[in-house]
Parts: sequence; C-alpha cells; structure tokens
Amino acid sequence: MEIAYYPGCSLKQSSALYDIQSRRIFSELGVELKEIEDWNCCGATSAGKVDDFLAVAMPARNIGIAEAAGYREIVIPCSACYSRTLVAQQRLEGDARLKAEINGAFAKKMNGGLKISSILEVLLGRIAAGALEPKLKRKFRRLKPVCYYGCMQTRFPFTVPVPDDVENPQGMETVLGALGVKAIDWSHKTFCCGASAAVNDPETSLNLMGKIMKDALLRGANCFVATCPMCQLNLDAHQDAFCRRSGIEERLPVFFITEVVGAAMGISPEALQVDRHFIDGTTLLKELEGDER
Amino acid sequence: MTGPLLEFRPEQAKPLLQEVMERSGQMLTACYQCRRCAAGCTVADETGFFTPNILIRTVILGDRETALSNPLVWKCVSCYTCGTRCPNDIQTARITETLKKMAKEAHIAPLQPKVAAFHDSFLESGLRWGRVNEMEFMGVYEMKNIIREARARNYEAIVDELKTQAKLGMAMFRLKRMHAGFMTTKGRKEIKALYRKTRKKPGVSPRVNP
Repeated sequence: MEIAYYPGCSLKQSSALYDIQSRRIFSELGVELKEIEDWNCCGATSAGKVDDFLAVAMPARNIGIAEAAGYREIVIPCSACYSRTLVAQQRLEGDARLKAEINGAFAKKMNGGLKISSILEVLLGRIAAGALEPKLKRKFRRLKPVCYYGCMQTRFPFTVPVPDDVENPQGMETVLGALGVKAIDWSHKTFCCGASAAVNDPETSLNLMGKIMKDALLRGANCFVATCPMCQLNLDAHQDAFCRRSGIEERLPVFFITEVVGAAMGISPEALQVDRHFIDGTTLLKELEGDER
Repeated sequence: MTGPLLEFRPEQAKPLLQEVMERSGQMLTACYQCRRCAAGCTVADETGFFTPNILIRTVILGDRETALSNPLVWKCVSCYTCGTRCPNDIQTARITETLKKMAKEAHIAPLQPKVAAFHDSFLESGLRWGRVNEMEFMGVYEMKNIIREARARNYEAIVDELKTQAKLGMAMFRLKRMHAGFMTTKGRKEIKALYRKTRKKPGVSPRVNP
C-alpha cells in the first residue's frame, strides 16, 4: 500500500528523527510513504495571522500535487501542517471562485476528494487491519505515559470534520493500548504548550508548559507521548527552563508516538534516533527492553 | 480581579464591528457573555484576565484603540479552545488574528513586537524559498529584533536574546537537530506570482472572505 506523504519543513530539519521513524514504522506496517514532489511550506499558524489568502493558497498547492500524482490519501504527521492543509481544503470546497483562481495559477490542479490524514488515523487504520499485532516484540509493563495531543490535532479555526473527540481525544491511547501500554488519563492532553511563543514570548510559553508538566507528574507519569513535532520540541528543549521556573525537580522524556510503537516492534532506540532528545529517553526505553511479551 | 475600563464610542461602534465581523467571519453580536471562553482561555493568567469575551465587548462598544492594542491580541496562542467551547460558535482566535492584521495596517506598534516579527519572518521565509529554513528564518527574525531594540538603544535586551538563542542553538547542534542543508521549492514562483496578482487587484487587499 502506498500513500502520499507531506513531511513539512520541521520533519526535514529539527525533527528529522520523526521523519526517519515514521518511514520505518509504516514500512514495517506495510505502508510506503511517498513524499510528494516539490512540496512547499504550508504557512503554519503564521500565515493565518499575517495573510488570509496565503493561508489557503500555500497548502492548496500541495493538495494539487498529491491529487495530480493520483493519490487518494495523504498523511501529514506535523499537527500544524495537518491542520492548515485540512482547513485550506475545507475552505476551498465551499468557495468555487477561490478554488478556480488558485487552480488557475498552479501547474498541478486540485479536483477534490483527497483524504488528509493525521499520523494517528493511518496508524489506527493499520492496527484495525491487523498489521501491528504480528510485528510486536515487546510489552512495556512499566511505561506510564500521558498522551499529549496539543491544540492542532482536534481544534480547528474553521469547521472541519474532526476525527477524534475535541476535548478528550483517544487516538493515541488506542494506539498505545494496542501495544499493551495503558496510558494515564489526565486533564492537560489538549492544553496548549505555547507553540511559537516559546521563541517570541517565552514567559507565556514556559508558564503553560509548567502547568502541563505539573499535571503529568501529579498523575504519576514517567513520560510524555506526542505526535506534533512542535509540541515535542517545546516540551523537550525547554523542559529545564520551565521546570526551573516552576520549581520542579523531575524530568520526563517526551517521546514521539513513532518511538514507542517502534520500540514495541523491537527496533532499538539508536536506530530510532531517540538519542537526539534533549531529555534523555534512551535510558527509559533500554530499562524496559527486558519486558517481554 | 477587575476588568479593564472600556470606552463606549457610538460613532466608531458600527464600522469597527462591521469590519471585524466581515474579516474574521465571526458573528460577534451572538455573544451573550456566558464566559465559557474566559474559563477555557489558555492565556487568561498571562493577559491579566483580558479574556475573549472582553475582547468581543471591546469591539462591540467601538473602543478601537483597546481592540487593536490589548494583551489578548498579542498573547493569544491560537489554541482555539475558546472557539470550540463557545455555545454560539464564535472563534475568538480568528478575531485576534484579524485584529493583528488591522493593527498592522493602521501602523499601531504591536504590544508584543517579537510576536509580530516572528510571524512576519516565518511567512516571508516560507514565501521566499518555498520552505522555511529554520536557521535562515531565525536569523531574519533575530535581525528584526536587533534593529528594533537598537533603535530604542535597548542593548541589554539584544545581548539577553542572543545569549538565550545561542544556548538553544548549541544544544540543538549537539543533538544533530540543526539542519545544515538549504531547502528550496521550485514551485514557489507559482505562489509568488499568484500572490502578486491578488494584491494588484484595485481596491482589494489580499484577503479571503470567510
């Protein structure tokens, strides 16, 4: 099975490990991720704040490329890219004039009907198809994760079909459940980490992340699991800073969902490049390696 | 906790409300101040409780000055919690996004200049190369900050900012999370040409009707 793949700028740079893991995991699950040709930046949340037209036009070009190449589905692991592309598609569906104007300018035209999927949707589809079960080598009994979705997996600035519960999503919990891992319930799974505020308004962002960390610790978690590269980088790279600010001693590794799935399949943390985290996650995964199925 | 003093400006109320409603696509008049948005606002602690419902009230009263320059417009993290909880489907994050653009057009200095510089630099970088090259983008963003702070002779702020970013940059470099190559998209010319065309239409700013 082949599906179109939009990595986005961050999976090609600071979160390149997420790109490597996604390709590896999906290949094991029988899905080849086909990176679409000559894709461009989706504009992220910045486009919505600076220019409404570009916020639609930039993702539209990528949709056209995927459709022209004959794909029916595209997977977008980055939450910001996923959200912006889904929203752009939805807005174009309801605005024939705008769609014609944009199509007129791009070589690869949109026809409609492309399914835009988050990484969780594709993972859940493979699990439902029974592709995961035969690949599992380990069962992590001592992993106590809290699933962190952030904002952009379930909350959108426009009305779009949301694939999970808005306030209490369960997609990641279901994936972990299929690995035999019970995720801890908590109240900050869709609380915002501040996203770009970590760069342009650190005071705000560090306060928000401190609240997330406090709740995770209160519930007895020993790691975070995330799907968004921005959330992962924020909670990981700024953890020392926001913990110091909030008087927290503990540190928790922030795993991508692909790292936990990969480790359960028996892929080593080194091959998954978990050693590129700011907060060490390799030790915890190594400790758990003894947990056999 | 007391709310800010808002001014009622009857002569401004109608045009301001109309412009914000049209550009944001939000039915502000549907707000009945139930404050579910306020209870859910992620940054309420950071804005001195200038919550979404207060912003909506500000616009309705015609207090243009406060509407274009208040902590919520510049601290809003676009988490969309207020909008998903609003019983009347008002997405206030799209109102803050609209007010940011209106403030820029009116040449009002942003309350959080770094926030404005960040989003401008990000989009410029994405448009210039077709993809955002993190290092180039951060360089442009920091240059904007340095120029602004240097004009205000605020040299200490420049040093602090560079120290923080350099520390993060070194850690990222050590973890191989810094990308050395430079990415471009050939098709960026298509986007630029389209963008130029939409901007040249007489009397129409490049905006999309919601």
